[in-house]
Amino acid sequence: MAFDDETIDVLIGGYMSKDAAQDDYKAVLGSGGYLHGAVVVSKDLEGNLAVEQTDHMVREGAAGLGALGFVVGLFAPPLLAATAVGAAIGAGAGKLLHRKTENKLEQQAGATIPLGGAGLIVAYPHSAAGKVQPAVTRAVSKAVGEAEGHHVQALKAAIADAQQKMAGSGS
Amino acid sequence: MSEPDRTTLPIRRPPFGGVSNRTLDGSKPDWNLIGHPEPPEGSPNVLLVLIDDAGFGNPSTFGGPISTPRYTQMAEAGLRYNRFHVTALCSPTRAALLTGRNNHAVGFGSIGELSSGFPGYTATVPRDCTPVPRILAENGYSTAAFGKWHLTPDGQQGAAGPFDRWPNGWGFDYFYGFLGGDSGQWDPCLAENQKIIGTPEDFYDKENPYYLPDAMADKTIEWLHGVRAQDARKPFFVYFSTGCSHAPHHVAPEWADKYKGKFDQGWDRLREEVFARQKELGVVPADAQLTARDAAFPAWDQVPGKLKAYYARQMEVYAGFSENADYNVGRVIDAIAELGELDNTLIIWIWGDNGASLEGAITGSFNELTMQNGIPLTDEMQLQLAERYGGIGAWGGQMMDPHYSAAWAWAGNTPFQWGKQVGSHLGGTRNPMVIHWPARITGTGALRPHFTHVIDVGPTILDIAGLPAPSHVDGIEQEPFHGVSFADSLTDPAAPEHHTQQYFETMGNRAMYKDGWWLAMKTPRIPWVLTPDALRPYAPGIWDPDTDPAELYYLPDDFAQAKDLAADHPGKVAELRELFWAEAEKYKVLPLLATLSAFFGILPPMPDAVPVEYRGDVQNIMSGMIPRIYNHSYAISADLIVPAEGAEGVIVAEADHLGGFSLFVADGKLTHTYSMMGVFIYRQQAEEPLPPGEVNVRMEFAADAAKPATGGEVTLYINDRPVGKGRMDHTVPIRFSAYAGMDIGRDNGGVVDLSYEDKKPFAFTGTVKKVIFDVKPHLSAQDEEALHAVAQHGHAGHGLSA
Repeated sequence: MAFDDETIDVLIGGYMSKDAAQDDYKAVLGSGGYLHGAVVVSKDLEGNLAVEQTDHMVREGAAGLGALGFVVGLFAPPLLAATAVGAAIGAGAGKLLHRKTENKLEQQAGATIPLGGAGLIVAYPHSAAGKVQPAVTRAVSKAVGEAEGHHVQALKAAIADAQQKMAGSGS
Repeated sequence: MSEPDRTTLPIRRPPFGGVSNRTLDGSKPDWNLIGHPEPPEGSPNVLLVLIDDAGFGNPSTFGGPISTPRYTQMAEAGLRYNRFHVTALCSPTRAALLTGRNNHAVGFGSIGELSSGFPGYTATVPRDCTPVPRILAENGYSTAAFGKWHLTPDGQQGAAGPFDRWPNGWGFDYFYGFLGGDSGQWDPCLAENQKIIGTPEDFYDKENPYYLPDAMADKTIEWLHGVRAQDARKPFFVYFSTGCSHAPHHVAPEWADKYKGKFDQGWDRLREEVFARQKELGVVPADAQLTARDAAFPAWDQVPGKLKAYYARQMEVYAGFSENADYNVGRVIDAIAELGELDNTLIIWIWGDNGASLEGAITGSFNELTMQNGIPLTDEMQLQLAERYGGIGAWGGQMMDPHYSAAWAWAGNTPFQWGKQVGSHLGGTRNPMVIHWPARITGTGALRPHFTHVIDVGPTILDIAGLPAPSHVDGIEQEPFHGVSFADSLTDPAAPEHHTQQYFETMGNRAMYKDGWWLAMKTPRIPWVLTPDALRPYAPGIWDPDTDPAELYYLPDDFAQAKDLAADHPGKVAELRELFWAEAEKYKVLPLLATLSAFFGILPPMPDAVPVEYRGDVQNIMSGMIPRIYNHSYAISADLIVPAEGAEGVIVAEADHLGGFSLFVADGKLTHTYSMMGVFIYRQQAEEPLPPGEVNVRMEFAADAAKPATGGEVTLYINDRPVGKGRMDHTVPIRFSAYAGMDIGRDNGGVVDLSYEDKKPFAFTGTVKKVIFDVKPHLSAQDEEALHAVAQHGHAGHGLSA
């Protein structure tokens, strides 16, 4: 079966450093798996954006990954309890144990790359998943979406699927 | 002149012994009137060195992996004490060291920042427990302290004092150092005597940047030279208290790089290596057993291979940092030798105040405050954040405030279990001590196995100096020392042990020692875990301390606490448990867990929430004293005068890029940057330039809710007109920094927004007339009470990590 007839997988990864995203980006390129394209975007602490991509689909006449928009749901560490973040325990007599610290911060940080953060999108035919996915080892949040068909519409659908999974994971 | 009565201080002047006639005819002066107290003839100088957050198995002098040639030099020409004990926390050990009394009895059941309403936890030394430096000074010693203090409550570290809680008030003629529990070594916010002097100018020197350990030695030597320039005989008492090896672990790469590859074997193997060397040196008996790893610490083999370099670098930096402390103490010793006074200088050098610190949790951190603020980051995340700020090669540099993994600390406490905060076990309570005094110690290089405790040091110094413990000071009857002198053991290896009984208590972890038996009563809570689930078992009405696990050790046969005998000796367990309660009552240890009382609904009165105003020349407000802006809506407003040509610079800034905020003008535009502990960075900027003339600017944070770490919307205003906005999804719930201060009109020390790093301190080029913090917008009474509780939890949480 030709790659173009396969399900497209899209892996998106979020990172807290450019270095980590670059490591995975290089690892993906060196994984030996066929890639439709890969793009890594990072934002430094002053807000300057850096983009690096090897986007085969551009050559193939389809829209590149970058052109599809770079929306990666990055991590949002849950600010749980830990050191006292409001852990009112045992009201007076100690009979009631409240957990006031739980909040909604597990939810995604948003759709943009934060200052100092980075993101990676890799698109590949499903048959390459066994080589590509293990190469991504440093993402602090990661999701894989998939969609039937090929070219732009399938790619968009796969990205949307990945984003949905990432949001759903609470990572 | 006859020997004065030294039991009542200050020493009373002798009555006039001359003659005062109507004229000089026949009058005779009495020159004693203009003299000053002098210690007994031959009283030695004293250099008391205290290393911070280090363990029994750290220095090479005691078999550790960290090269400490000067410590070894002192030991080989002096004595090693291998059964010396401390409390399991910073301030308590310091309070005990400097007062000769049990820490709770002098108000230091917990750290200096944390004052509570129970007698053992006020962080305020009672006037009937006069500190040893004051006693020495009143008897004619010149006294000085350098480095870490950590005995002044958090809210009292400003120009208003009160200064009886600062080093000068404890009896030191001179102080140069920092008041808090830790400090950046590159960018400290320092105090000198009774003034916060901020970050030294040399911090801005890129070629020769300021480094506190070097400066501490420089200042000590300078002070010694100054004293000798005035008085060739007056003995000195120097308290040299390093910020090393407490986090942040700051040291130049050349020190850390000495240890490249030295820790690749991991913490399990390191413990075995250290233990073997300890036996070779004899600091651990040949029959001792190495204690096992608790399940709270992962095996090194479980660490993913890709992260091993990250973990190893943590320890390399810690080791280099510690070796640098040895080097700088050595410089002070060299200076004393150069003065020709080493022979009669009593050097007491204690390597660690509470065992090595477990507060880095298992992951360690690029920023020690991430743990205190409850940000659960994995080790991979920590590594990536380290990469964001320069990579692991920069661990120890100016861009990070690192802390190593608790597992390295555990290895540093070889051969014992646990570490800092765990007062029930030797990992948190036994540290090396070396004493050097050529004038009196003859059997050099020997080991002293005497059970000794930090409360014994003060009485020993006074004993050696020939000074009595005063019965009255300033007219107040004094509580006798709780410690006992071990001076006889310096010259007599067969001297009897005088310290036969001692309680220990830190954060609810307790022990009772008596005649070789040690009952350990550790709360099951893992020291670095403060989640609601972890605290729940200790709520009032639920916790029964006597149901905590009890372990019994007989130390003469079991140096490391490896053989629990509790099951075989239930009678001894019961006896020591009862003795602990009696001692706890006697020395104000009760109520247990007073340190954590805020978590259980016991709160101090709510402070006023009136707007706080700062005039434009206010600088270096200590981090524990900034307005309470955490976890709710607030506003910062500033009245400015902007020159016709425009202005740039900082209007107000707290701390630095690893946690803090800055309201500033860049490229003519009002800008607000907020660093959520260096993990999330938010920036909002006005869409139009700042106009010239008298201008009011304002930053409003509208919180989503009054709750910990709340997100919210930021709006920037110029003359009440909105000009910019943005969102901050996460805010700092507890504290921006352990040490970096807040400044008006500039950003001293490390900067918040790295875009103006090259212009630091980026002073405002117009005029900042005043800055007003409104910390109470939109708050209901209920919210205010809830946030007050949260603030106290944070305070307590900070206390547990200081």
